[in-house]
Amino acid sequence: MAGTGIIWIALLGPVIALATHLSWSAIKSALSAPGAFDPLIVSVESGAITLGVLLLLGTPLAWALARGTLPFPRVWEAGVLASLLLPPLVIGLLLIFMVGPYTFIGQWLAHFNISTTNTFIALVIAEVYESAPYYVLGAQAAFAEVNPRIEQAGALLGDRPVRVFRRVTVPLAAPGLAMALCVAWARAIGAFGAVVIIAYHPTGLPLQIWTTLQETGLPTALPYALVLLVVALPLPLAAYIWSAHARSRRRG
Amino acid sequence: MLEADAEVDRREFTVRASLRLAPGDRLALFGPSGAGKTTLLELIAGLVAPRRARIALGGRLLTSTDKPVTAVPPWQRRVGLLRQDPGLFPHLSVRRNLLYARSAAGRRSELAELADALGIGGLLGAMPARLSGGQQHRVALGRLLLAHCEALLLDEPYTGLDLSLRRGLTELVVSLVDERRIPAILVAHELADAQAFATIMAILDRGELLQFGAPDEVVRRPASRRVAELVGYTAFVPVPGLDGAVAGVHPERMLSGRHPESGLVLTGPVSACRPAGALWEVTVQAGGAGVTGRLAEPAEPGTELTVTAAGPPFFGPDGSALGRAPQGTGLAGEATGRGSAAQAGPR
Repeated sequence: MAGTGIIWIALLGPVIALATHLSWSAIKSALSAPGAFDPLIVSVESGAITLGVLLLLGTPLAWALARGTLPFPRVWEAGVLASLLLPPLVIGLLLIFMVGPYTFIGQWLAHFNISTTNTFIALVIAEVYESAPYYVLGAQAAFAEVNPRIEQAGALLGDRPVRVFRRVTVPLAAPGLAMALCVAWARAIGAFGAVVIIAYHPTGLPLQIWTTLQETGLPTALPYALVLLVVALPLPLAAYIWSAHARSRRRG
Repeated sequence: MLEADAEVDRREFTVRASLRLAPGDRLALFGPSGAGKTTLLELIAGLVAPRRARIALGGRLLTSTDKPVTAVPPWQRRVGLLRQDPGLFPHLSVRRNLLYARSAAGRRSELAELADALGIGGLLGAMPARLSGGQQHRVALGRLLLAHCEALLLDEPYTGLDLSLRRGLTELVVSLVDERRIPAILVAHELADAQAFATIMAILDRGELLQFGAPDEVVRRPASRRVAELVGYTAFVPVPGLDGAVAGVHPERMLSGRHPESGLVLTGPVSACRPAGALWEVTVQAGGAGVTGRLAEPAEPGTELTVTAAGPPFFGPDGSALGRAPQGTGLAGEATGRGSAAQAGPR
């Protein structure tokens, strides 16, 4: 009991340090500067679009992985794991080789005046790559928990697969899906490694913390860290509470 | 009318079946585990693909491998399947489970009536996790009936429930199926459960339908030695004087003492005696085999005992049925532990 308490406090150490080292005056002066909220807006907007992309593209992939409908499932899983195992900085470097201005994709996009370096799109791309595996693997686990026999019962009661997915699969996987989405949100909002390489501008919160730290030092960077936590944490916490509630309701 | 004529490939064998059920017919498919019983039900429900099949329900062609090739998807078949896991939607209340099918929407008066008939009227607001196993099965059954499925397939649904609950649920299904005049198929591995349900029995083994018949007939007149083994005949005693023929002995069709007018008289030393429910399971060494029967009285091991196997079926060397010795004529055979000749063989 005492041992687990110590481990828990040690894990919370950074949050405690943040709380004890912040002063009201520092928060006020940092956030009252003109344009102080711009990084927050950039981060929230790019994070929200990233979640949309993940929902749209990651959900079908996660479902197919969970149901084992793909040929060579291990290969597909390894592909998802690869982006999880690659260090974010390396992802950033490799994204330059993939969508940078001198690549085929980059040149094709240039025809439409779209640049994939140091633009909002670049930021979203970096965030998608950093957060996708967290969502796909979490959603895969959530779908795998849904008993296929229950989906089959829905089909035999007259629902075509799309309707079964909407009325049975998604509601049953919802607690797990919500958790996966929130972990992805926290990863996207806090993405730094890939972002610093391909999307130095526009500046989101993590980069703002980094540049402030470089230019004016630790005390002025801390308020942004607080803002990042305030934005990144409530959603996962709410999802956690909701999914625990949904699970207990289902248990009767 | 449900008609199914199909072949489905499984890993070790091919399941072949030809069934024809009139509205209100109740077929029990009986056989050992892995005989292909569930495969047959899943085939009718459209969940497995056949090598060759023609399945029709109420005049609608559901599956046809002949041209024009037809494969109606499961959600358009209107076939209800109930498995051992009732498969209730855990996120929906009992009421919303019952009304899940779109065809069930707007049937609220029918819902109340059916819920009362099923004894779940007081549970409509409960979540499935709160229900007992028997209640869950009642809800699952109600859900299929409210969906107005045109055939009911029951895949060992009551395995794991106690006997009185199983019988109660079986009687309920029988009355509801009768009322709605729909064909129903029950897969069972307990013979008594199958008989309690069925108007027709079918014995399935390794994909082959070995016998069709009335529920009592398959036990009293098994079509082959293999069927006899499946319905519980445990010993096969040689019939002296009839080359290679054997008589089947069923532990539950055994009388104490000599009753030649009722069947085959067997005499020999008792090798074992143990309690079996309210009866005693006694093994007698007779006719060169250990013959076990359930008797009302215990017997001392080592002592000589005479028992009568009531109306035994006889089988030839190839395992096919030879018919039965007429009863009450003194023509039944007699076998003893010392192997004396039987007085008469089957006719």
